[in-house]
Amino acid sequence: MTDQQEGAAQPPPRLEVARLSKAFGPARVLRDVHLRVGPGELHGLVGQNGCGKSTLVKILTGVYSPDPGGHVAVDGRALSLPIHPVAQRAAGVCVVHQDLGLIDDRTVWENVRVGRYQAGKLTRKINRREERQAVEQVLARLGKTVDVNQRVGLLSTEDRAAVAIARAMQDHRPGTGLIIFDESTRGLTGEARSRFFDILRSLIDAGASVLLISHRLEEIVEVTHRVTVLRDGAVVETGLPTKELDEASLTKMMLGRHLVTRGRVESHATDDAIASVRELTVRSVKNLDIEIRGGEILGLTGVMGAGYREVAEAIGGASRADGGELTVRGRAIDLAKRRGCTEEFVDAGVAFVAERRLDEGLAAELSVSDNLTLPRVRRRGKPLRTGRAWQAAETAAMIAKLDIKPPHPGAPVGTLSGGNQQKVLLGKWLAGAPDLLVLCEPTQAVDVGARHDIIDAIREAARGGCAVVIASVDAADLAVLCDRVLVFSGGRVAAELTGDLDQDAIIHATFDAGTRKGVAC
Amino acid sequence: MEPTTIPAEPTPAQAPRPQRAWRNRHFAARYAVIAVWAAMIAVYAGTEHGLFFHAGTFQTIFSSQQPLVFMTMALLCTICVGEFVDLSVPAVFGFAATVLPVLVVNHGWGVWPAALVAVIAAVAVGALNGFLVVVVGVNTIVVTLGMSTLLTGVALWMSDLNTISGLPTGFQAIANTDVGGLPISLYYGVVLTLGFGYLLAFTPLGRHMRFVGASREVSRLSGVRVNRIRFGSFVVAGLLSGVGAVIAVAALGSYNPTTSDSYLLPVFAATFLGTAIIEPGRFNPIGTFVGIYFLETGILGLQLLGLQAWVSDVFYGGVLVVAVTIATLLHRRAA
Repeated sequence: MTDQQEGAAQPPPRLEVARLSKAFGPARVLRDVHLRVGPGELHGLVGQNGCGKSTLVKILTGVYSPDPGGHVAVDGRALSLPIHPVAQRAAGVCVVHQDLGLIDDRTVWENVRVGRYQAGKLTRKINRREERQAVEQVLARLGKTVDVNQRVGLLSTEDRAAVAIARAMQDHRPGTGLIIFDESTRGLTGEARSRFFDILRSLIDAGASVLLISHRLEEIVEVTHRVTVLRDGAVVETGLPTKELDEASLTKMMLGRHLVTRGRVESHATDDAIASVRELTVRSVKNLDIEIRGGEILGLTGVMGAGYREVAEAIGGASRADGGELTVRGRAIDLAKRRGCTEEFVDAGVAFVAERRLDEGLAAELSVSDNLTLPRVRRRGKPLRTGRAWQAAETAAMIAKLDIKPPHPGAPVGTLSGGNQQKVLLGKWLAGAPDLLVLCEPTQAVDVGARHDIIDAIREAARGGCAVVIASVDAADLAVLCDRVLVFSGGRVAAELTGDLDQDAIIHATFDAGTRKGVAC
Repeated sequence: MEPTTIPAEPTPAQAPRPQRAWRNRHFAARYAVIAVWAAMIAVYAGTEHGLFFHAGTFQTIFSSQQPLVFMTMALLCTICVGEFVDLSVPAVFGFAATVLPVLVVNHGWGVWPAALVAVIAAVAVGALNGFLVVVVGVNTIVVTLGMSTLLTGVALWMSDLNTISGLPTGFQAIANTDVGGLPISLYYGVVLTLGFGYLLAFTPLGRHMRFVGASREVSRLSGVRVNRIRFGSFVVAGLLSGVGAVIAVAALGSYNPTTSDSYLLPVFAATFLGTAIIEPGRFNPIGTFVGIYFLETGILGLQLLGLQAWVSDVFYGGVLVVAVTIATLLHRRAA
């Protein structure tokens, strides 16, 4: 498609960015960035965390003003900088943000329509029926059936993403415009993701352009036409046709070096069962028994709602089960007991790395060191003194081990990039040398470099004899890490994969189990 | 378009990441209020021809604020663990301060048993607040607003709207004993503030309190007993209000329950002003302590200039808004 356009009478590009730079004080986060997205093009934008992708999006949406000298044009018309949100909307540029920007205790239609409410002339009352209909129409265009009166906080990750996409796309006129997706696919699992890309393709076919920002290189390679790679705020390569690319070459461009591919390594599983779960009953899961050996890495996966996530949360102590018992090195914990906190689990050597790192894992306003040492501050400190030495040692060890940047123990966690926050969260629990490590989506929305550091750290923990449980939808992670994968479906273990795992087999088992269940019901 | 050749291009050395000195980052924000305090003293000293720089002025400022110190620390207890905001602190204080003289003067109790009962009553109210907020899950503001009004009413009924005086003179010694020219009650406040500051900064309990205040879910999943800490904060808030009341009654020799309400704004003004001092953007005991004396200096100076009692309302309200605004702006720029 792009070749034809280049050969033809050169329609102006949908989006043209040239000479765009941005500095925050001495830090130059964007340097002379240029980028072209043609009409009807699906353009990928990749780079590690902190490479400037988000800053670029924020300039395009008028959150930041670029340094003088930059140029941004849509359909050949230059936009004045900084970009005014009204001008941005008029030019047909819309964004689905990384954090989705949804208000959890408001309904779907309120979230979609916020800022656009049509009020009655006299009463200034919002016409709820029309609003709801408008929202239903947008969702229907996305092929989603979501109850528009549902509160957003109660929706699944997939539906939340759909709501955010609906909000961004509601004013979209077919055949024009540019939609920027900033990590919008990260909560979407296999099927939902392919439906999402179907939507993208239909938008593209209707003439819209899409700028897709994603950490998932395989989806960039698979769905985009061309790709732009950013590294340290500068464009490494722009407009590369993805047909000629694979993930490895993209990674190399992003990192500026060859990354040793983390293949599977020898299992470190020993023969003695360190942890066992007996008769676990939680939600749809009934009477589940699991044995986990020392050094073993056990994956739990399935489609959304299959029950694997609930199992991990119950084992980790995050939520109460309806019944069951966990035994860790001979110490029994009643999983159905009502508890105020996970103290009993922590004392028994269970570590739980939560999925939503800033809601469940780390306090953003407090420092890296305080967050890292929290689970041990009571046991390792004295009642009247937390003790500095052990905290400094633990923090330094984890900063070095996980390559946390910036390496300041006193930096508030909220100032770190997502990948580094995830490393702090992992370090918080690894520093306690747990016997059983339970992780939920440990590499969600982190860049390639951080993912490798995290995978290495998990392996090292297993090598040290720790039993590891990973609940994840990411088949690639499970394939390189796990000794054994339990595939859940409708609350039961539908398949148990062992031996040399590969990504495709896991995906296959997941969706095979999912559909069989669908037919059976 | 050979992608494999592109990465071979040598890239200039990685952009140096600015090394931020986190400790000194907020220097301006930390000490802005203290600088204004110094400036204020200088201005008063200039305009009042030595009237302000009189030993008596400083004695007045530093000997009169013990009730506020105890009440702000009580408020900090619950604010630090994320409870916004305990409106009942001045009422609990007033309740305890009424119970003590009523028992002694009207019912002939000994002063020590009466003091003990006053403190226990305040602790019981704190525990009731804690039960309703933490266990039952009622909104903090609603519970404490209701509790505040209820207790003030009960105190007025007990005292029959009168000032109760006639406490034995020996009792005053626990508050008014002269230490280095200032009453011992000032030192209680200093010790309490430093102790609380130490607790938050250096003990595991204080660390847990900070995390509960920052995120209950993160704390719960890290093995912190969230509800125990929240409940305990309400109980300790009651305890501090009660003990503060006993010392205040000893200092005054009497108590007028209609004055309880007048503490509400100063307590909040000083506590919020404290977020602009030492640790910008964070509630902290030492900042709060400085805030109390900052406010009192300003008001006393204005009163010495001949302004009337209304000046305290204007000053408390105005300073609160301005100081917190400035601290927020400084904090944002530094971040």
